[in-house]
Amino acid sequence: MGNVLNLLIRRVWISLLVLVGVSILIFLIARVIPGDPARIALGPNATDEQVIKLRGELHLDDPIWKQYGYFASELLQGDLGTSLYTNRPVVKDIAQFLPATLELVFAAGILMVMIGLPLGIISAKYEGRFLDNLIRVIALLGVSAPSFVWAVILMLLFAFFLPLFPIAGRIHTDFDIARTTGFLLIDTLLVGNLRAFFDALWHLFLPAFALALSGIGQAARLTRANMTETYRRPYIEMAYSYGFPGWRVARKYAFKPSLIPSLTIIGLDFAAMLGNAFLVEAIFAWPGLSRYGVAVILRKDLNAIVGTVLIISAAFLIANLIVDLLIALLNPKIRYARRSP
Amino acid sequence: MIRMGKLLFAAVLIAIAGLAAHAEKVLRLDEVAVGELDPAKASDYADTILMFNVYDSLVIPRQGGPGLVPHLAESWQGEETSYTFKIREGVQFQSGNTLTAEDVVFSFDRMKAIGQGLSFLFVSVDKVEVVDGNSVRFTLTEPYAPFVSSLVRLPIVDKQLVMDNLEEGEGEMGDWGQAFLTSNAAGTGAYLVESHNPQEETVMKKNPNYFLGVGDRAPDTVHLRYGLEAATVRTLMAQGEHDITSQWLPPEVMRALVEDGNQFLTEGGTSAFYFKLNTQKAPLDDVNCRHALANAFDYESVLKLIAITDEVSSGTGSTGAIPVGMFGSNPIGNERQRDLDAARQNLVDCTYDPAEFEIEITWIAEVPLEERLALLFQANLSEIGIKSTITKVPWALFSSSVNDPASTPHVSQIFVTAVTGDPDTLLYGMYHSTKAGTWQSPEHLNDAEVDRLLDLGRLAASDEAREEAYSALNDRLVAIAPSIYGYDQQSVFVARPNIKVPALSDPALAFGLDTMGFLFRLMEIE
Repeated sequence: MGNVLNLLIRRVWISLLVLVGVSILIFLIARVIPGDPARIALGPNATDEQVIKLRGELHLDDPIWKQYGYFASELLQGDLGTSLYTNRPVVKDIAQFLPATLELVFAAGILMVMIGLPLGIISAKYEGRFLDNLIRVIALLGVSAPSFVWAVILMLLFAFFLPLFPIAGRIHTDFDIARTTGFLLIDTLLVGNLRAFFDALWHLFLPAFALALSGIGQAARLTRANMTETYRRPYIEMAYSYGFPGWRVARKYAFKPSLIPSLTIIGLDFAAMLGNAFLVEAIFAWPGLSRYGVAVILRKDLNAIVGTVLIISAAFLIANLIVDLLIALLNPKIRYARRSP
Repeated sequence: MIRMGKLLFAAVLIAIAGLAAHAEKVLRLDEVAVGELDPAKASDYADTILMFNVYDSLVIPRQGGPGLVPHLAESWQGEETSYTFKIREGVQFQSGNTLTAEDVVFSFDRMKAIGQGLSFLFVSVDKVEVVDGNSVRFTLTEPYAPFVSSLVRLPIVDKQLVMDNLEEGEGEMGDWGQAFLTSNAAGTGAYLVESHNPQEETVMKKNPNYFLGVGDRAPDTVHLRYGLEAATVRTLMAQGEHDITSQWLPPEVMRALVEDGNQFLTEGGTSAFYFKLNTQKAPLDDVNCRHALANAFDYESVLKLIAITDEVSSGTGSTGAIPVGMFGSNPIGNERQRDLDAARQNLVDCTYDPAEFEIEITWIAEVPLEERLALLFQANLSEIGIKSTITKVPWALFSSSVNDPASTPHVSQIFVTAVTGDPDTLLYGMYHSTKAGTWQSPEHLNDAEVDRLLDLGRLAASDEAREEAYSALNDRLVAIAPSIYGYDQQSVFVARPNIKVPALSDPALAFGLDTMGFLFRLMEIE
């Protein structure tokens, strides 16, 4: 356990350094995007005095290092400035939009694990047979088409031709749910409204599935590849020769060592979905952070760009940290290897 | 027994009819994100829909004709640099507070102090003060003829409510209630804001105490959704879960929706599409070269390109620099025509050899239609031997590149709208030499006669004098061709058949101002 704790402390420290690096980098990049943010925000008819005033408020005329100093000191006080896009504090925007994206990405991540891994296991167990070929085709389809294509196809199939699922939003407008956490699946349970909970779940399914499909395909293919390789190992042959049942061999001896690469990919996919959810959010009118992120980049909304990228970077780092810890827990070789000099 | 059954059946029918009569009338429509709720910052289409329904102004455009009518004002008088408005009595804000002249003064001061949104419309106002208890006087630094029409864009805010919700900021007025008004309403309007998420939707409810009353058939609840994708809108409309689309849907989607039994709604008269020519960059610094481009442009094909059906189009033929219906516009029947012979002669008269130049035509990356227009223009130019390149430019890059004539492309494509319905708000920002170098004015025009006529339009005291000034300006702009006047834009929406929007379907009931047709209180749901 001490090894895991050491690993955790080291990784948190490195993650904090990475975050500082990201903040500097994105702060600089946001400022070299062409266009005067004050002019864009105020429009073409704004007087020069108005533009100068706003530039002053945003410290845009100060040297870049000084601007970063203002930003860093405000960040330490939990203030990311005001968004020129929504005219609200960036922190308030992120607090409003992030839970929607996290809920979507968590749901997609769960689908990825619940569907992708079993498909990979089944495929490896029935290698070369009809079921394996079928799963490989499905997995290939999932990987080859981007999420937004799946979003449109799923919407057409299950909302337009067969009106089984809702098309837009997170919950039906009839439900007025107090947003305590921002996660509707939790908030509906907190107020004890089961109908609203199932409605939110119903709204969540199609966008989460569309977002997860690529990851499902990837997880299935990777798990299959690793497991088929593991199946060829002598100890598996030995397990069979002892007369262990096929599923026990698959679950206990073939799956566990094959899980580590899949877990790494799932972790990275999970974090990448935070940024990539934009088109799925747009198609299903999901009021999330990815959509907000793209909108603020197009408007050169400096504070909001930096805030959004920082949050997504932090999520990326946290996901990586969790994956590393899980791998360390799963594989003693990795855990103990860190001890040696 | 049979009689009993019939009675029961009748009772059920009556109950169903009763329920239907009292069923909540819900209207769902969409616009581009975000929806800005603060009157001092609102400027875009979605913001304007919110402003016209949640707030009121002293005057509004006359429905079905030109001019303005009193609204929160009972009457007004004044000219040149002083205008006095008598405030209507007995009007209540949604909070229950009574409207006073103080609220008007506060609304103006607030807009000017924040200095965003449409505050530029009021730069000529020196001060606003209460006179005789319930009247308010605006004093201008110099005569500004379109001043009264600008007041359409000054939503009146509930001073007491805002003062009760001030937060910290510079000076005595703190943040001027910005934090509060970003998420809450403080108006007298026909609709109350129930919830507001600037990227998702604003939910509004009918105001039972609205001073003009709201009809029973008007929507009880309105969901104004933001940023829906075309595929989403198409599906929502097909499922009966959406009522009015935005104007930004691709034509083929609009056509499909109407084929499904929906109807078109249209609004036009205050905006136009322009190919803007950089008058400071060779060879377009020569007026003959500019005329060559204008004469080579295929005005008829562009109308076919933007047609949605044979009957409905996103635009009508341009008759000059000013859209038909505004002061100084040329009447229908004078549409611009392609004339290749004249274009070739213009090239002969041009001091430059066109073979030595390659014209750069840009299109804004966020507006895919412009790529098709650029391709059409490129083909037109090749017919008179002018080489051209097409460049896709993101909006942020475009708006910064036009600051300097050297970095401004030869040809830029822009849609421009008169925000108050007055030609001054359309033309001054585009063509006055003091305004050159914004996204509205990549022509970098510097023409003394144009400046004089624009100033004259602002100063002229009577409608006749303004008509004369803008008519002369229109002629001058056609003569020096700083832009190619592509077409007069018409906004097209699709609505479900049970939605009646007289202001967007009957020209005799239309308002001479973009977005005013979206007054929910004048809509009916059947």
